[in-house]
Amino acid sequence: MSRSRTTGAALILASVLVLSACGSSASGANDDAASAGRNGEPVTGGTLVYLEHQAHDNLYPPDAGFYPNGGIVNNITDRLVYQDPETLELQPWIATDWQISDDATEYTFTIRDDVTFSDGTPLDAEAVAANFDLYGKGDPDRALIVSEAINNYSRSEVIDETTVRFHFDAPAPGFLQAAATINSGLLHPDTLAGSFEDFAPGNSTEVIGTGPFVITDESLGTSLTLTAREDYDWAPPSREHQGRARLDAVQIEVTPEDSVRVGSLLSGQADVVRYVQAQDEAQVSGAGFDIYAPQTNGVNNSLSIRFGHEILADLRVRQALIAGTDRQEVVDTIYTEHYPLATSTLSSGAAGYVDTSEHLGYDPGRAEELLEEAGWIEGPSGVRTRDGEELRLVVNEAAPQPRSFEALTLISQQWQEIGVDLQILRADAGTYAQAILDPEQVQLYHSMVARADLDVIKSQFHSENRNTLANRVGEDPVLDEELEGLLEAVASEADPDERIAHTQAVQTYLAENAYVIPLFEEPQVYGAGTHVQDFGWESVARPDWYQTWLDQ
Amino acid sequence: MHYLLSRLGQAATVLLVAFTAAFLLLQAMPADALMIRFESPELGLSPQQIADLRIAYGVDAPLHVQYWHSLSGVLRGDLGYSIESGTAVRTILADALPRTLTLAGLSLVVAVLVAFGIAFAAGLSRFAWLRSALRAAPSLFVSVPVFWLGIVLIQIFSFRLGWVPVINPGPVEGLILPVLTLAVPISAPLAQILVRSMDAVSLQPFVTVTRAKGASELWTQWHAVLRNAVLPTMTMAGVLFGELIAGAVVTETVFARAGIGRITEQAVRTQDIPVLQGVVLMAAAVFVAINLTVDLLYPRVDPRLRGKVAAAR
Repeated sequence: MSRSRTTGAALILASVLVLSACGSSASGANDDAASAGRNGEPVTGGTLVYLEHQAHDNLYPPDAGFYPNGGIVNNITDRLVYQDPETLELQPWIATDWQISDDATEYTFTIRDDVTFSDGTPLDAEAVAANFDLYGKGDPDRALIVSEAINNYSRSEVIDETTVRFHFDAPAPGFLQAAATINSGLLHPDTLAGSFEDFAPGNSTEVIGTGPFVITDESLGTSLTLTAREDYDWAPPSREHQGRARLDAVQIEVTPEDSVRVGSLLSGQADVVRYVQAQDEAQVSGAGFDIYAPQTNGVNNSLSIRFGHEILADLRVRQALIAGTDRQEVVDTIYTEHYPLATSTLSSGAAGYVDTSEHLGYDPGRAEELLEEAGWIEGPSGVRTRDGEELRLVVNEAAPQPRSFEALTLISQQWQEIGVDLQILRADAGTYAQAILDPEQVQLYHSMVARADLDVIKSQFHSENRNTLANRVGEDPVLDEELEGLLEAVASEADPDERIAHTQAVQTYLAENAYVIPLFEEPQVYGAGTHVQDFGWESVARPDWYQTWLDQ
Repeated sequence: MHYLLSRLGQAATVLLVAFTAAFLLLQAMPADALMIRFESPELGLSPQQIADLRIAYGVDAPLHVQYWHSLSGVLRGDLGYSIESGTAVRTILADALPRTLTLAGLSLVVAVLVAFGIAFAAGLSRFAWLRSALRAAPSLFVSVPVFWLGIVLIQIFSFRLGWVPVINPGPVEGLILPVLTLAVPISAPLAQILVRSMDAVSLQPFVTVTRAKGASELWTQWHAVLRNAVLPTMTMAGVLFGELIAGAVVTETVFARAGIGRITEQAVRTQDIPVLQGVVLMAAAVFVAINLTVDLLYPRVDPRLRGKVAAAR
């Protein structure tokens, strides 16, 4: 009745084939670091100084989507399953083996018996079960949320010391990958018993995992020290390096100001910095430093067109907006070569990607025709009008995304040419939080999602998740049932090939209905000194310091 | 004694009013921290999950219940937890306050020294050009943007010359550049007021009498003029110190220091009400304390005020 890991591997293989077929230029275009260092044998020891753009705000793993959080959680926790960041293949880690029932409602994991938490307690099946019981169900009373990556979770069942089974109410084909994400980082049962406040900055040294690093020091809002565990000996068997981490410690320093971060790197005060802005890349590489731009492999940086709004309900208007957007100019002007032009809703590095660029061409003449057909005629001020109403739309500035405002300003200029007035919403957090949920206030939603699983497309568009298309507003009924159905099929189809077909169907559907304007495949851009060797990252580009070493 | 008690009573009232005003104003803002934190599409939570969280936090309880809840917390010394990160507000403030006080206090000392230097030199100087250059300095200083000054100082002294590191500095090293950055614009209004009141005092008959009695220019400036010109400057310094704490936002961001300024900026950005209330209470307390100190210091500097205060006692 059960299929073994081989079937799981076949699933992965299929997606890898899709990937290579598409000639992924994305992940780690210039990262020879993933292979051996260029100056001979790796050295153990040393402290690496890493500059973060923002302070972390919590270490509860399902909250680790925020990059500063994820960068820490990724290094202090292990996962049941390891996802190779290059091939996205799922491999054993804390789980040595697993079985998945045919309908993907039961997952049985065999776990290693030699793993200990940093306080010395052994990790057993009981502890693993406790982790997923919390991440799969959350606990509102402790303000601990459900992990976005885990769908349909029902319960855990501890079979013996090293075997644990998870049951799901409905097929959960994305669970194996979910068990590999940082949102499923394994923590000590005592840590899990805490509330949101116990995972907060100030208590970070109390967050106990089994990972290669331990948080040994924290200065609230400014710095955090990760120290290597001497007795760490359970790295994923597929990794080249085994045993303790090569670095003695990683010192994370929060440096919000861009020019200070880059200047500190160039003057040798820091080893690695995150979030090198596109406009600063030339300065970093010009000075002989390395730029790493690993891809985030999920839903591309894009504008979701909220078709529920009365102006945008007309397919021709949506098509006109796409045809009126010179995406290549946006990428060339605002970004760099590390931000490849998007060719679908999904990144070309993502599993299940299909090229939909035929629907994304730039043709301002066609855009104007479509708007004319839809009844939007040229108005006196250059903005098109219909029955006296001006063709005015609002898009949100996506503050976490790189150079969102600059990109949107350029798009707004491009749309002026076709007679569309695009306003950019920049507001205080409260006004913003309300406005982005309301299609009457924000008609185009600028965002992206990083996750290397087929479920990612459902996360972005389903009305119960990120709902970026505003397919449902408040208690109103869902507007596009067909889209909802397609997305649910992706997240609940047990057959791997079928699941890929569903993901492709969603992309095609989104493209044909002109629901999304994909802009570029979003990287995380790091700058590093040339003495930093084997700098690595997990599947969506959060730093992984395990193999890194300093050649000085 | 009675004077001190009534001043303390006033202080408590000011704090209560500040707390209440902050509570009401923050409630009147659009949305709330919980919405910003959990309803952000970034977390992908379903409407049901969000509703459960709102109940757990009690944010939809009637206003007076929430007010009483947080007021009684404050009275017990419990300022609650940050909604954004979950850290106890008391921890956040206790951590940030000393850093900001050190920065602001040192900056004020440096600013006062610079202001006195400018004013005194301008008063003494025999050359007209030097005098006017010194008198122009405050206008120049006040128009230098703190943000720009901070970046320029870092670029020159840390990145180019390598004299002081900005990453991992020692406790003293880490203060040099931020203090300079903050002191320059603060010294400007102090110097301006001091120069102006020294001018005014210089024209008083008693100064002429002092000179006529044969006092040297230095003695005249120091004993006769400066001493009498210092009161308005002191008032200004008291006000500026409060501003220094608030104005530390930019300096703390540029120099990556986690002080009150940066915490306030972050809390405002995320509408983190417990943190903001804590900051308001603390800021009110600091202002009250400084005003009290300045008022109590007046009679020490100016004997004419001693009688008035004594009468008030």
